Amino acid sequence: MSIVSVQNVSKDYMLGKTVVPALRGVTLEIGRGEFLSIAGPSGSGKTTLLNLIGCVDTPSGGRVLVGEKDTSRLSERALTDLRLHTIGFIFQSFNLVQVLSVFQNVEFPLLLQGGLSRREREARVMGLLEAVGIGSHRRHRPGELSGGQRQRVAVARALVTRPALVLADEPTANLDSQTGATIIDLMKEMNRRDGTTFIFSTHDPKVMSHASAIVRIADGQLVGREAPGGDAAAAGGR
Amino acid sequence: MAGRRDAIRILLRIAFRNLAASRVRTAIIGAIVGLGSLIAVLGMSLLHSIDGGMRTSVQGSLGGHLQVYNGASEDPLELYGGLRGESLLEPIQDFSKVKAVLEQVPNVKMVVPMGIDQAMVATGNVIDVALERLRDDVRRLEAGERDAALLRSYEAHKAHARRIVTLLREQLAQARAIADLEGRDAEERRSEWADLTRAAADQFWSGFDQDRYQHLELLENRIARLSMEGAFTFLRYVGTDVDAFFRAFPLAQVGEGQMIPKGRRGILVGKQYAEEWLKLKNARRLDQIKEKRERRGKRIADDEQLQRWVKENGNGINEILLQLDPAKAGALAARLRPSLGAPAGEELPALLARLFQTDDERFDRNYRLFYQEVAPLIRLYLVDVGDTITIKAPSKSGYFNSVNVKVYGFIQFRGIEKSGIAGMMSVMDMMSFRDLYGYLSREKAAEIASIKASSGARELSREEAEAALFGAGGSLEGQGKQERIDESALLGAGRGAEAADLAARVYSQDEIERGVALNAALVLEDPAKLRGTMRDVQRASDEAGLGLKVVDWEVASGVVGQFVLMLRAVLFISIFIFFVVSLVIVNNAMVMAMLQRVKEIGTMRAIGAQRRFVLAMLLVETVTVGLLFGLAGAAMGGASLAVIRATGGIPAVNDMLYFLFAGPALLPTLGSAGVAVALLIVFAVSVLSGLYPALLAMRVTPVEAIATED
Repeated sequence: MSIVSVQNVSKDYMLGKTVVPALRGVTLEIGRGEFLSIAGPSGSGKTTLLNLIGCVDTPSGGRVLVGEKDTSRLSERALTDLRLHTIGFIFQSFNLVQVLSVFQNVEFPLLLQGGLSRREREARVMGLLEAVGIGSHRRHRPGELSGGQRQRVAVARALVTRPALVLADEPTANLDSQTGATIIDLMKEMNRRDGTTFIFSTHDPKVMSHASAIVRIADGQLVGREAPGGDAAAAGGR
Repeated sequence: MAGRRDAIRILLRIAFRNLAASRVRTAIIGAIVGLGSLIAVLGMSLLHSIDGGMRTSVQGSLGGHLQVYNGASEDPLELYGGLRGESLLEPIQDFSKVKAVLEQVPNVKMVVPMGIDQAMVATGNVIDVALERLRDDVRRLEAGERDAALLRSYEAHKAHARRIVTLLREQLAQARAIADLEGRDAEERRSEWADLTRAAADQFWSGFDQDRYQHLELLENRIARLSMEGAFTFLRYVGTDVDAFFRAFPLAQVGEGQMIPKGRRGILVGKQYAEEWLKLKNARRLDQIKEKRERRGKRIADDEQLQRWVKENGNGINEILLQLDPAKAGALAARLRPSLGAPAGEELPALLARLFQTDDERFDRNYRLFYQEVAPLIRLYLVDVGDTITIKAPSKSGYFNSVNVKVYGFIQFRGIEKSGIAGMMSVMDMMSFRDLYGYLSREKAAEIASIKASSGARELSREEAEAALFGAGGSLEGQGKQERIDESALLGAGRGAEAADLAARVYSQDEIERGVALNAALVLEDPAKLRGTMRDVQRASDEAGLGLKVVDWEVASGVVGQFVLMLRAVLFISIFIFFVVSLVIVNNAMVMAMLQRVKEIGTMRAIGAQRRFVLAMLLVETVTVGLLFGLAGAAMGGASLAVIRATGGIPAVNDMLYFLFAGPALLPTLGSAGVAVALLIVFAVSVLSGLYPALLAMRVTPVEAIATED
């Protein structure tokens, strides 16, 4: 059963008075537990696809189902709620809240969710901080950390609500290749450990090589789906 | 619930951290908000205190709680005088009817009739007084009395008169030196000089006893008028049922002398008025110098005004010299010489000059010397308790009316003794007021009409009209100065007897109340119900057809009330301007801050923060800073007020303030209304200024988190 179902989705942007198509009839099924990479050149529509899957944007045509919910039918509030409970985000530039400590940044989604006791939250946050190898920095502010450390915090934050799906838009683009590799390793480890679905965009072949599947996209259209080895699958197939 | 509490905690945490993170912005917003709060608290508290002071002053001195006057009047009632003089009020024809109706209105405790106007008072001058005494002695001598005391008194008064003539001649000699003896009045001046020369000559005085009356008349008719002193001054008075007045206005008290006996004619002169207008100028200036030195910390050495007063006192010595006969002058000089450390043989004028031309070092000693040695020998005030004074005013019939009233004492208002606004007011009986006011009652108008008809005259002469109108009412026109000179002689004459009768007559309460009044003060049982009672009074008046206009004390106080209204307007306008300015500044700062955090807000929205969370986050931030600094500002305001109180309050530097403060200084208290308004304003500013950026922030989409580069 797929966690994400993208059905003939198109997305247009208005650039002044001209309509710029970002996606043109993309169909894609993503199963639970996948570690999927979306690849393609800049401007190909990677980020747009991720935004639609991440419920931060809605399609101009077609349907996006996340956890079997049709996002085009949900209110803004319900979408926010869906993001909060079902999706974790990892950003290219980390996007931590500067005035909060490492611990508080990771705790933040749990506070938005509510429901957990202080003790439960603490256990969950510390468990994740240890898992991403940054437990000793729990009191630091983001500004006091290196890029790699910050992205580790971001990974922990994305996972703290135990989402079914984690989206990462170019998670290694702002990191040197070695640090990028460790972040991908970390994500892979989390994918294996909890079975969390990861979808990440990249144009770094080394990063792609870690994926369980690679979806190639160009000019707003899906051009192929393949295993890292190279077997191309039919577009829109499984 | 735990979740919500956690969310609030994270909101507060983010707010505080953000405030701490951008200290400069927080400091600027905090300073603005704090200052606004400080101004609001100080302003509101001061205004509240002034309001209270004014309430005390107006309600306790003249206003009561409500005032009624004839609704047909052109001008509004202005108890303390307007900018254009006294307001012209249509009279209330019969006060007793008004009283009967209004006393039935619930919550009305007292109805006090009033008539406020200005009048001229003939004050006489020292020459008049000296000559009056001399004439008294002359009359007794001519009547054949010959006892030793009388002869001594006669000689002393004669010497005094001679001394005055000598001093006047010296004055005039100085004036002649600079005067133009060729001009229009040259003839007049030459004749004056001749009179003075004649009166100052030894011959005149050695011949005095041969024909006392003839000599006296030369002095009275030709010399007395040469004195440069003013012979009259203006007086503001309220004619009222004096008894009721004192019951209605608890601040009123008789400072010196006694209360006007019930039902009698008489006047209680305003104490402050007496100080300013009736007191010997030199003494008044000494008092003022003392006050400035002690209360304002001024020094003669470096204050121009004090120096001017000292100089004027040097020039005013003659006023004192004129009052002393040679014997007293000699004795005073003998006592002053050692005290002032003057050389033996120094004469009184030089000694007085030494006394008045004082420096800071000697001021206190000289002040004491004046009141110990000089004051007891002279008349300090132009009017004393027990005197009968002549008051003149233009009546409504167009002619000058005048009445003689006995001064029973001086009136002052407790707490606001030195206020020129309340303290200028003298209190007079209702009957004298009506004589002065001279209003044509309907009966009198009818009477005139019948006289006109019977005589067939189209125009009445002034004498006829006056006789018709006031023949029995006691118009004592034209007796002013003369009477002071020879009061007892006048009292023997026909009209004088009438005056004596009037002064001795006891009027019934009915007589006092049945007649004209200009306005009436209403004192209420429960002042808190003022508005309701005001409506009831208006209704009662309308139903009874009295045609009255009802105003509250604040409106009735006229210019004074308007001043407070103006203060209030100024305060509210400045608070409002401050409000708008701080709104703009804080709003701007918050928008800038928000724009810097677009990505952070987008991230929060992406990871699941609802719009209302973002809205709350921004609002909490501004409200936090607003309340924090607002409270700090309010606390500073409270502390400032405490400091002001501890250092003696805000001094009342002029009459108006004295009246508004209901005392020499305003001791402002922190009004709860002030704090409430301040915090309300602060809250409103922070919410309103935070609202726009918060609404902007609410519209930040999660896409921004992804799209925006660092």
